[in-house]
Amino acid sequence: MRSAWCCSIGVALFTASVSLGAVSAPPFSFSLAADGVAGGGNVADFGTVVQTAPTEWLFQGSYHGNSGTALSWIYLVDPDPFVTGTFTVTNETTTTRDYVLDFVLPVSPALTASLLSGQVSGTLTDSDGSGSALLTSISGGFVYSALADDSIVQGLMANALQQVTSVNGTTSFSGGSFGFPVPVSGPSINSSIGIRFAFSLSAGDSASFSSVFVANPIPAPSVLVVGCLLGVGSRKRDTRVTDYADRFARRS
Amino acid sequence: MTLNPFHHSQVRSTSVALLVGLFVSGPAFGAFAPGGFSVAVVSTAGSTTPTNTVAPVSATTWAATGGWTFGGASVSWTNNTQGWNSLTSTGFTSGNVVIRNESAAAQDYTITIGMTGVAAGPLVVSGSVGGQFLNTSFGLGSLTSSGPLWSALVDGATARNEFNNTLVFAQPFQIISLGNANFSNVVVPTSTASTLAIRLSVRMSAGSEASFTSTFAFQAVPAPGAIALITVAGMFGRRLRRR
Repeated sequence: MRSAWCCSIGVALFTASVSLGAVSAPPFSFSLAADGVAGGGNVADFGTVVQTAPTEWLFQGSYHGNSGTALSWIYLVDPDPFVTGTFTVTNETTTTRDYVLDFVLPVSPALTASLLSGQVSGTLTDSDGSGSALLTSISGGFVYSALADDSIVQGLMANALQQVTSVNGTTSFSGGSFGFPVPVSGPSINSSIGIRFAFSLSAGDSASFSSVFVANPIPAPSVLVVGCLLGVGSRKRDTRVTDYADRFARRS
Repeated sequence: MTLNPFHHSQVRSTSVALLVGLFVSGPAFGAFAPGGFSVAVVSTAGSTTPTNTVAPVSATTWAATGGWTFGGASVSWTNNTQGWNSLTSTGFTSGNVVIRNESAAAQDYTITIGMTGVAAGPLVVSGSVGGQFLNTSFGLGSLTSSGPLWSALVDGATARNEFNNTLVFAQPFQIISLGNANFSNVVVPTSTASTLAIRLSVRMSAGSEASFTSTFAFQAVPAPGAIALITVAGMFGRRLRRR
């Protein structure tokens, strides 16, 4: 009887794992505003998406929707949730442009409380050989903002100013981090996480950002209580087993 | 606008056009063809043909966007390349390459981005590279290079090496900035050049990603004859303006 139960549980677990593997990609989306001109959509519609693990997807693509702006990306996401990857934007116009770029991922399941960590790093390049390139914050704000349910929960690179002063030159910048090595506490997250990039970029130049935003659930108190009870229960059982073993040893 | 044969700007543009005409009437490689851009990927993950789309950005510059994927390893790029200018033997390539290893083991990658044409040497080259390494695995990630990670090549010969013997480690979900390197006014003593290229050679651990932005530009060192011709043209233009 017991073996039949084990078999049925095993079959159920196998079926669950197979169906998990076939889960469709989450609706990971982006929006790009270039000097207020908006564009964007579902990331999967502008490239490829590959499932790399039961809950992880790799998105690659490019976008030329806003006139004079070239955008390309490669992002690994997990609705469990994290968002991490790299994008490159090139301002192909003749004037400095303000960019606001959001990458947003629906979360599943919702997090009643969260632990957050994030980081950003990048490069700025004089792509047109003019001898200079400039990347700055917009009105001194964050270049990187971690979003939870469309609200900013953490920010990096406030008052940023990165510049290149040599022809065809490149500069690298480490934009800082939060929650490394110890994650910081965050809010409950019900619908989505994301990363917002907001910056001004000089004409003819390129910027590339690699970034991470991870939200880990904090176990709810009830889960902790259940965990404690399970721990106490197994300890008690271990003690009983030991007692039985002792008795058996004494008898023999 | 009425045509005034003695207007300064018109005289200047006439003499410049004459000069351009003299040079362009020779070899006809002033117009850049998209076929002049090439990408090759060699990886221990396996072998397959990259996909690449080339579209014009301006009259002389083309944007190449493409990718290569095999066995969990992938490379994607967006690269702008300017055509070889027959007047000055100038050109450049500038862009971003993202390398990703989603396979279960460390992989080697060699990516070569080339531009082809005919340039009269000697050349003066300049360029730069910068990048970052991102570990998206739950173990320690690493990026290494045996020798130069980034090289600028002229007809297969090294013009410049950067990021020699790189060794970088990253904790899970950590980004490491690889820094940047810039160079300019490096003279390449070649009489002619037909292929200029950027090469990235790197080994990356499973579940990691590296992004590199780099530029490579070249310009011919003006020959004495060309300098004399430009001087004569300038004097000719000045004389016209005086009249």
